[in-house]
Amino acid sequence: MPITKNRLIRPQAEESLDAAKLDLGADFQDAECLLISEVKVLLEAQYDTKKEEKNLDETYTKTLEYVQQFSRYTNRDTIKEVRALLKPTELEPFECAQLGNLCCSEFDEAKTLIPSIGNKISDDDLDSLLKQMDSLKKYQG
Amino acid sequence: MREFVTKRLYKDVEGTCTGRYGYIVAVVAILEIQTGKIIPGYGSAEFQVKYSAILFKPFKNEVLDAVVDTVNKMGFFANAGPLQIFVSKALIPSDMELDLNSNPPSLHSNDQKIEKGTLVRIKIAGTRIDATNIYAIGTIKEDYLGVIE
Repeated sequence: MPITKNRLIRPQAEESLDAAKLDLGADFQDAECLLISEVKVLLEAQYDTKKEEKNLDETYTKTLEYVQQFSRYTNRDTIKEVRALLKPTELEPFECAQLGNLCCSEFDEAKTLIPSIGNKISDDDLDSLLKQMDSLKKYQG
Repeated sequence: MREFVTKRLYKDVEGTCTGRYGYIVAVVAILEIQTGKIIPGYGSAEFQVKYSAILFKPFKNEVLDAVVDTVNKMGFFANAGPLQIFVSKALIPSDMELDLNSNPPSLHSNDQKIEKGTLVRIKIAGTRIDATNIYAIGTIKEDYLGVIE
C-alpha cells in the first residue's frame, strides 16, 4: 500500500461540532449550561475543603480565577432573577447561558454573537430581555 | 469505604481533560456508587460511580471572554480559565498594528490596545484535541469581538 500524504498525518479527533448551529454533540446536547456566576458560587463553596486537603489542581485554580474575573452577577438573588428571566423563553440551555454570560447591550449584538438564536425570539422580546438583565446587573447589591 | 471511593474519584477525575468531555473542573455531587467488583488475579477492586461535575468544553463558533497572556509577532495568546486560545495575525483586524518595542509588547489601533492583561471577546474558530489538553484558535476579526470596554 503506497504511503499517501494523509497516512503520515497523525490521526486526530475531527471536531465537527458547531455552536453556531447548536450542534454540541450527543453528550452535551441536553446538558445543563451554567452561568459563569453560578460556577463561581459552586467553586467557591468547595475552596476551603479543597485547600485543607491540598487538592487544588491547576484546572481548578485557573477556572476559579477566570470566573471571579468575569462573573457578572455578584449575589445569589440576582443570579436567581436572571434565571427566572431566561426560563420562560424558548431558548436552549446553551443560548441562555451565553446570553447571561456575554451581557450584550443590544439585540443585534446578541444575535451576531449567538447566531443559533435566529428567529426563536422576536427582536423586541430579546431587546427587553437584555434591558432587564442589564438593569438587574446595575442595581445588584 | 464510601469515603475512600469518593476521595479517589475526586483525585482521579478532577483536573483531567478529555476530547469527549473537555475539562473536568470539579465534581459537584456523587449520585451512586455501585457495589465493587474484585478484579480476578489482582488485589484491586473496581467501582462504578455516577457523579455530576462541572465541565468546560469549548465549541467551535462559541463566543467567550478571555484574558490576554502574551503578544508576539504571530498574534497573541489568551487564557479562558484552563483553556489557552491563540489568535493569529490573520484573524486580528488589519488596522491593529504590532508594536514589539513597547513593554509589554502590544497591538494597537487608534482607539484600542491589546497587551498582557487586556480583556478580549473571542470567537473560537477551531479546536484541536490531544490526549491531555485542548488547544483552541480564535478570531477577533468579526463584529462585536475584540477588546472589552
